[in-house]
Amino acid sequence: MGTLTGEKIVSLSDMAIGYAPDRVLLHGINLTVMPGEMVALAGRNGSGKSTLLKSLLGFLPVQEGDCQLFGMSPVTLDVRKRARMVSYVSSRVPPMPSMSVRELVALGRMPHTGWTGRLDASDRERVMKSLKEMGMEGFSDRKVDELSDGERHKAMIARAMAQDTCLMVLDEPTAFLDIPNKYALIRILGRYRDSGRSVVYSTHDLESAWLWADKFWVIHRGRILEGAPEDLGIRHVFEELFEDSAITFDPSGRRFIPQLASRGTVGLEGESSEVLHWTRIALERMGFRISENPVSTTILVSGSAGDHRWRLVSEREEETFPDIYSLARYLIKAK
Amino acid sequence: MKPDSRSLLIFALLALLLVLLSLLDIRLGSVRITFSEMLAHLSHKRSLSPEQLIILKSFRLPRLAVALLAGAALPVCGLQMQTLFRNPLAGPYVLGISSGASFGAAVVVLGAGTAGMVAGWGLALSSWVGAGLVMVLLLFVSFRIKDVMTILILGIMFSSGLNAVISIMQYFSDASALKSFVIWSMGSLGNVTGGRLVLMSATVVPVLAFTLLYPKMLNGMMLGEEYALSMGIRVRRSRIIIFATTSILAGTITAFCGPIGFIGIAVPHITRTLLNRTDHRILMPATILTGMVIMLFSDIVSQMPGSDRMLPINAVTSLVGIPVVIWLVILNRKSTSF
Repeated sequence: MGTLTGEKIVSLSDMAIGYAPDRVLLHGINLTVMPGEMVALAGRNGSGKSTLLKSLLGFLPVQEGDCQLFGMSPVTLDVRKRARMVSYVSSRVPPMPSMSVRELVALGRMPHTGWTGRLDASDRERVMKSLKEMGMEGFSDRKVDELSDGERHKAMIARAMAQDTCLMVLDEPTAFLDIPNKYALIRILGRYRDSGRSVVYSTHDLESAWLWADKFWVIHRGRILEGAPEDLGIRHVFEELFEDSAITFDPSGRRFIPQLASRGTVGLEGESSEVLHWTRIALERMGFRISENPVSTTILVSGSAGDHRWRLVSEREEETFPDIYSLARYLIKAK
Repeated sequence: MKPDSRSLLIFALLALLLVLLSLLDIRLGSVRITFSEMLAHLSHKRSLSPEQLIILKSFRLPRLAVALLAGAALPVCGLQMQTLFRNPLAGPYVLGISSGASFGAAVVVLGAGTAGMVAGWGLALSSWVGAGLVMVLLLFVSFRIKDVMTILILGIMFSSGLNAVISIMQYFSDASALKSFVIWSMGSLGNVTGGRLVLMSATVVPVLAFTLLYPKMLNGMMLGEEYALSMGIRVRRSRIIIFATTSILAGTITAFCGPIGFIGIAVPHITRTLLNRTDHRILMPATILTGMVIMLFSDIVSQMPGSDRMLPINAVTSLVGIPVVIWLVILNRKSTSF
């Protein structure tokens, strides 16, 4: 694979991207990817993530500035040579011909095979290794058109792995996956990075990216910012990214919480800390603030091990509920 | 991606069928020439009569050759179009090639009104030129336009436009010319002999051989042009190659035999289902074999053994092919995915 230690895998300077010179989406882009680095590209819908990825791959012309892939221009680079250095997984799962997963993954060997596309023993070994890395050995004889979207997407990624490149570019690879698979995939990409390769991927799932990415590229207000996730945290980039939306960023927990109209303040008392914790979550989800001081409305949690009661006490009323659900329904109606 | 035992068995069966049907195709006809007579002639024991020889050399063998060429070429075009456009409904004629050929034929038959030329060089050449013009236009467009689906839509527009012009020409032409044109448009395998057969073979055979040389490129195109590019396929060049070979093959067959429908779309589909493979290294030769077998079978049916009448080949290919496709679709529901 030939890792270029110390050299930049991708180097973008003063680059402008877009589909035409008069339709520039982003300009003044200065970014780098180093060997063995995993970069997560974040940004709101329509901010130009896919365009940026396709431009650095050489699929789209660079409108301005300089884009270098391994020190060469991706547009003029020989297509076959380029395919030995960069692999790509699109955000869309293409309509699949009725081929087996193994055949699909074997297509990734194309830049390395001769004109007939015949695989030799080492090619076949690489295909099996990629299937194994993606946890898809059991799928190798299944037809791709019988798989779920998430499984097909994983097969497409296995195909990119079989391409055996220094850089893998993925457009929203986690979009089709359930939560465990999402984390599993980011972990797999992290391991791929640990073997000295570079990964650039766009995502909306910042929480998983925080766990594994070395660097973030965040597109925000027509600019693109680069840095370790924590660097961007210090600069309040994530708070700003979503400031006009219904969620806010909670830097302490590195999570997003919904912004809701306040329904007022309630008190919460009880013994079991676990039940109190879940009750607090429910109340916060509905827009209540929890007060430590005595307030006019208080919820008392009583009972033990599997048999709890929620008692709502206020000046006007007193009501008991068997579960959080009925308490929540009552509170919403009462307000 | 090696040929598995199922593929090998299917190849063997197809080859066997091909030989049997070829022999049957020569044997059938209103003049009786038996296999033993032919064998005796070949081993110089007893010659065939001059009449029998003429029938064999000028009619039956050329007809067999034309059936084999058309049966091989049209499905290859269909397969290439289905792969390029990633659509199981694409066929050799989606680019407007056959409409170009029909237009060329219409100019001669309807425009000049020379019914005597129907079987001759003029018709074939004019039709060939018509298909060639559409091909040039198409290649010009595909240099300019990036999106392959736009090219598909333009091809369909070309085709509809030319058909509209042909309709107008038909409307204003006299009854005998109209009949000649309608008969041409029903297709025939029997009108290509002598020099025209040489020209047709000299065009179709090398191009057909060439299409067998780039299975890897076709395999790469199956996931769409963006993925093909990312895996090192020169997409623009591949597209030009696919368009050019499809135009030459479909254009030549149509120019010499008239439009022959259905097998171009159905045969790749049948072959894919039979083999259950998508690798073009296997699919391409298998499609050629299947196409030749189905074409020969259709030709035998169209001659209506035991009668002196003939059915138009264009109708027979459909009537023969449709039950096969329906049977395959019902047998294997998944075969609808390309």
